[in-house]
Amino acid sequence: MITESTEEYLEAIYNLRERGDAATTTSVARELKVAPASVTQMLKKLAKRGYLKYTPYRGVTLTPKGEKTGKKILRKHRVMEKFLSNLGLPKSRLHRNACELEHHIPDDLERAIYQRVEGERPLPPGVPSNVVPLTSVLDGQKCVVSFIGGGWGASQRLADLGLTPRTEIKVVKSALFRGPLMVSVRGTTLAIGRGVAAKVFVKAE
Amino acid sequence: MPTAGRKSLTVALAGNANVGKSVVFNYLTGLHQHIGNWPGKTVEKAEGTLYFKGHTIDILDLPGIYSLSAFSIEERISREYIAIQKPDIVINIVDASALERNLFFTLQLLELETPMIVALNQVDVAEGKGISINVPELQKSLGVPVTPTIATRGTGLDKLLDKAVRIVKSKEKAKPARYGREIEEKIRRVTKLVEKIPIKYPPRWVAIKLLEGDEEIRGIVGGIDPKIVSATEKHARDLERIHGERCSTIITSERYNIANKISRGSQRITPPKGPTLTEKLDAVTTHPVLGYPVLVGVIFLTLLAVFTVGGHLSGFFEDVMEPVRGAFGGGAGELIGEGLLGGLIAGIAIVLPFILPFYLILTVLEDSGYLPRAAFIADSLMHKMGIHGKAFIPFILGYGCNVPACLGCRIMETERERTIAAFVVTLVPCAAVTVVVFGLVGAYVGIHWALSLYLLNLAMIFILGRVAFKVLPGEPMGLIMEMPPYRKPHARSVLKETWMRLKDFIYIAFPLIIIGSVVLTGLKVGGLLGPIGSAMSPVTVGWLGLPAIAGVLLIFGVLRKELTLVMLATLMGTANFATVLTPTQMIVFAIVVMYYIPCIATIAALVKELGWKKAAYITVFEIAFALLLGGIAFRLLTLV
Repeated sequence: MITESTEEYLEAIYNLRERGDAATTTSVARELKVAPASVTQMLKKLAKRGYLKYTPYRGVTLTPKGEKTGKKILRKHRVMEKFLSNLGLPKSRLHRNACELEHHIPDDLERAIYQRVEGERPLPPGVPSNVVPLTSVLDGQKCVVSFIGGGWGASQRLADLGLTPRTEIKVVKSALFRGPLMVSVRGTTLAIGRGVAAKVFVKAE
Repeated sequence: MPTAGRKSLTVALAGNANVGKSVVFNYLTGLHQHIGNWPGKTVEKAEGTLYFKGHTIDILDLPGIYSLSAFSIEERISREYIAIQKPDIVINIVDASALERNLFFTLQLLELETPMIVALNQVDVAEGKGISINVPELQKSLGVPVTPTIATRGTGLDKLLDKAVRIVKSKEKAKPARYGREIEEKIRRVTKLVEKIPIKYPPRWVAIKLLEGDEEIRGIVGGIDPKIVSATEKHARDLERIHGERCSTIITSERYNIANKISRGSQRITPPKGPTLTEKLDAVTTHPVLGYPVLVGVIFLTLLAVFTVGGHLSGFFEDVMEPVRGAFGGGAGELIGEGLLGGLIAGIAIVLPFILPFYLILTVLEDSGYLPRAAFIADSLMHKMGIHGKAFIPFILGYGCNVPACLGCRIMETERERTIAAFVVTLVPCAAVTVVVFGLVGAYVGIHWALSLYLLNLAMIFILGRVAFKVLPGEPMGLIMEMPPYRKPHARSVLKETWMRLKDFIYIAFPLIIIGSVVLTGLKVGGLLGPIGSAMSPVTVGWLGLPAIAGVLLIFGVLRKELTLVMLATLMGTANFATVLTPTQMIVFAIVVMYYIPCIATIAALVKELGWKKAAYITVFEIAFALLLGGIAFRLLTLV
């Protein structure tokens, strides 16, 4: 059984990486709002259990096992955020409540909620495990916009530029040093910063 | 002059960015243009006049935008202007090579129910991409006249104006497109409520905006009848329950569906064989490895061009104008010669020669489509300073001259991003500062000290940039930017745009430079420099450990930073600075000069881009910061 705090850590590390930031003791501590000393402790523990590789002063990389959990929890977080936002909860509560809920949502319930926020009917039989942040789509690959998390400003802007749900888009290429992604949508090309792209969830093919 | 009694027509140009809108504007208005700001805003407003077949036509070029949400000031200005100022007609410029995305905006214009015509521009570019458009079909689907144009060649623009004038006379207004049944039903209900209240926008449009949750419109309607807002919310919830998405997303998607249907119905695409020019160029300019040397090359060539051309022009003007200034002597004569003419000469001979080539190159880079590519590959680096990739070009240009760099910050989209970028840019040591740092510290203390100062500066830029990023209010905006296809820059457009920007700069900067120069000369003639120097001595001598003369030098540096060094030589009567300053004093002095205040031309540029208030904040902050840093450096260096 994975503990809640293990999930929190893996999610935070995965999220940092998706956003293009380095995962270090300091950045993880800032992300989780805990003391760096306790982060070091926990990272060592997680490394022992095979979730990540940790070199003091250098940083953290997730093992495939750690990445799988981190990715899943982050996705649950975003799905819950979207769901709560659709329920009309104020923005200030979205993150906090999604943080609490993400650890207690069984996979099949997540799927049902996901289908709710996705608005697809009739319900498709598939598991939404192929719903990933745009940042994890490979160069040259096509995908379909599922939903856009995050604040109103960025998501409305992206929608205005053509990234509406169920639109097929293609990642043309991404810049070095975890720079922006070049995406082609509706016959035009956009550059989307990694921080923004991490909030765009797509169904990869 | 318009003929008495005949009313002139007002025409607004509206459309996405990068569709050739400014080319149309320049073609139609020639040099009868006026570029200013919207009242109280730092958004550019371009107006011009044209005489066409006996009509006087006032043309207003609205900002290039993608939507009419309340997302940005540009969008709010545009919709307010169209709905409330009511131009006689809106010309919607549409890029034929990206029809679907452009029609998304057209559909929103239709909702404003204004007289309207569509200019289907860049049909040549579209053909190059293998897109052919059935104009009658498109016209039928949109319900407003459509005219194909190629603005870069002026093709179709006469016909466009002809039709526009005819539409104005017929007073025909655009009719909004219809959405799906469920949404239409809700719109109809809310429209009924809105029709009962006095509001300047079309009721149907207001209804749609209310459903979308548009904050500005909600505020206006809520102020008149809050019940309408709460009733709309209920309808919006209904829609959200059916579609499982936020209502604004539902309507945006729906609009795109319509745009998609219309564009598919009216265009035929035969993909060209082989890669297009843009694809070929992009393979190199945004290549993960090759992109960087290309970027460095472009920057290097830009700086080289700006400084060789600028240097020559500057030398030429100075030779021509110097004798004129020499002709004035005596107290009042000096005020005119040194102050007034000196300021004018500084403007013409020093600032202008560098600004002109810079504007030319910036416009070419902008028009060709390279700028977004540079932003694309530099984004991750700039991110560390709290700004995104688009600020890269102004940042690098800051090393040449802060003035064009500040002006270049207008390519940033939001006010917040523009402010951070301009702030960061003013911290970059320009060529004049380089003269001081290398002429003083480099020459007398050691080259490694001079380079260390540059490294310290870079560190400070990163730190202060991050701080500004944290401190400034507003939602930080990640990079979302269109990458328009590459294009051959259009000479006529480039020249006109360069000229308009230059003129604009002269209006703002020259008065400031001249007034500054007159005031300083006045102080000198009035014998006030000494007293001012001693008045400043608690700071210059006490805190910074510099000689008392430094105060006067720093005041002159406001005009032009290299003057601090020139004046030092003049006032001390020697060019061997080692005899008048200790190495510590040189380093402290160079640090203060590096940060202490943007020069007066840079302040003028800041005022133009950010307004008086922010320019004042930045100036005051930098003075305080320079003194703090200089004082700390003085104490550390004397410890060693």
